[in-house]
Amino acid sequence: MEAGRAMIELKAVQVDYLVQRHGIRSIKAYLTSFGSKRLLERKRILHDVDLEIRAGECFGIIGRNGSGKSTLLRLLAGIVEPTSGSFRVHGHVAPMLALGVGLEPELSGWENVRLCRMLMGHDKGNMDQANDYVRSFAGLSDADLEMQTKRYSTGMMARLGFAIATATDPDILLIDEVLAVGDVAFQQQCYRRIEELKQRGCTIVFVTHFLSEIQRICDRAACMENGTVVRIGSTHDVGVHYHGLLGIPV
Amino acid sequence: MVRAVAWRNVRLRYKSSFLGFLWTLLNPLLFLLIFLLIFSEAFPQVENYPVFALSGLIFWSFFATTSAHVMGALVENAAVLRSLAVPPLVFPLAQLLAGLFNLFMSFIPFAVILHLFGRVPHMTDLLVLPIVLCFGAFILGISLALSALNVYFRDIGLLWNALLPAFFYITPIAYPADLIPERMRWIAEANPLYHYIAAFREVLYYGRIPNVEQWVVISGLALLASLMGWVVYRALRPGFIANY
Repeated sequence: MEAGRAMIELKAVQVDYLVQRHGIRSIKAYLTSFGSKRLLERKRILHDVDLEIRAGECFGIIGRNGSGKSTLLRLLAGIVEPTSGSFRVHGHVAPMLALGVGLEPELSGWENVRLCRMLMGHDKGNMDQANDYVRSFAGLSDADLEMQTKRYSTGMMARLGFAIATATDPDILLIDEVLAVGDVAFQQQCYRRIEELKQRGCTIVFVTHFLSEIQRICDRAACMENGTVVRIGSTHDVGVHYHGLLGIPV
Repeated sequence: MVRAVAWRNVRLRYKSSFLGFLWTLLNPLLFLLIFLLIFSEAFPQVENYPVFALSGLIFWSFFATTSAHVMGALVENAAVLRSLAVPPLVFPLAQLLAGLFNLFMSFIPFAVILHLFGRVPHMTDLLVLPIVLCFGAFILGISLALSALNVYFRDIGLLWNALLPAFFYITPIAYPADLIPERMRWIAEANPLYHYIAAFREVLYYGRIPNVEQWVVISGLALLASLMGWVVYRALRPGFIANY
C-alpha cells in the first residue's frame, strides 16, 4: 500500500435517517390518523462532512455522545449510504463497531469463527492462518473452541470477538469504542494488535470518548460536534478543541 | 452467505432441545392425532382420513413456521445489521432456506408414515417439488413484506400470530373442500392457501396431476406475492437502520 495515498475521501457528505415520527409507535396510531401523520421523517444525522484519511494512518475521531461518530463509521463500513455528497473508500474494510456481534451463544467457538468471518466478508483468504491467529490471540485451547460459546466468560467472548474481526489483514480497520470492555490485559493485547496491523500498512479509524486513547495510538484526529467535523489536525490540537467544547481546562 | 446463515438457523432451531429435529415431525403428528380423535368420525365420506389430513398438515406446518421465522428475521438480527455491512435480505432468505431444508428432511419419515396408512408411492409424487417451489416463493413474498413492516411496527408479529389459527380453520386442511357451501365458495377461493393445499392434495391424496388452471393459479400467486414482497422491502429498506 503506497503511503500517503487517500484511502477514505468524503466531500460534503450528508446522511439522513428516516425515523418514525413522535407518537407513531404502533400501527393503531398510524391507521387512526388516516394518513394525516406521515410515517417517517427525515432526520439529518451528518452534514457537510469533509474528510480525507490516508493510507497507513491511524486516525482518531472524538466527540460527545450523539455527535455523529458512530454514523460516520457506519458510513465508512458501508452499512448506511450517503444521502448526498461524494464518498469513496478504497480497499477492504474490517468493521468493529461492536465487539462480538453475530456471535451465537448456542454454537461452538469454531462454528462462530466461520459464521462471523462470513458475515464480515472475510471468508476468502487464508483460513488456516486466520484460525491459528484466533486461537493464539484469544488464548483459547481447541477444547474451548469446540465448546458452545455460551459457556465462555465475558473476557473470552471479548477476545474471541476482537480476534475474529482482526484475523485477516484488512486495508482499513474501523474501531468504535470497543476496547472499553475487558480488563487492562485485554486492552494491552488489543493495542498491540492494532500497532502490528499499523506496521503492516493498515489504515485505522478509531472512535472514542477518551482523549488519552487517541493520543496513545493515533497520528491525526478529528473532533465531531452536531453531526459534522469541526476540527481536523494533530491529536494535541484536536484534544484542546474537544476539551474546550466540554468546558474542561486542559 | 445465505447458505451459512441458513445452516446456523437449522442448527439453532433444535440445539439444546432433547428431541432435536424430531420436533419438525412431532408438530404435525400431534395435530394429526387430534384430528384422528375428533374429525375422522365427523367426515365419514373421506376415504383414508389420516392420509387426507396429513397431506394438508405437512404443508400447513411448513407455512406457519416458515412465515413466522421469515417475519422475525430482520428484527432478530438487528445487532448484526447495525454493525456489519450485510445485505438485510440475507436473513429472510436464510430462514426460507432453513424452512425448506426442514421440510425436505421431514418428507422421509412422512413418506414412511403415509405408507403405513396404506398409501402407495407413485412417480407423480415428484410433482410436489414444483408446488413446494411455488409455495416457498409465495411464503417468502408475503413474509418478506411482513418482516419489513415488523421493523417499524412490532404489532405485525403479534397480529400474524393471532391470524394464523384463523387461516388454519378457513383453509380446508382438516375438512374436505367440497363441504364448503356453494355460496361461500368464492370466499374460500380468495384465500391463496386454499389453492396450494388443493394442489398438494391433488398429488399426494388423489394421486392426480393438477390441471393447467391450478398450475397457473399457484405460480401466478407465487409471482405476485414475491413481487409485492420485493416492492415493500425496497420501499421500507432506507429506514431500517434507524428503526431496528
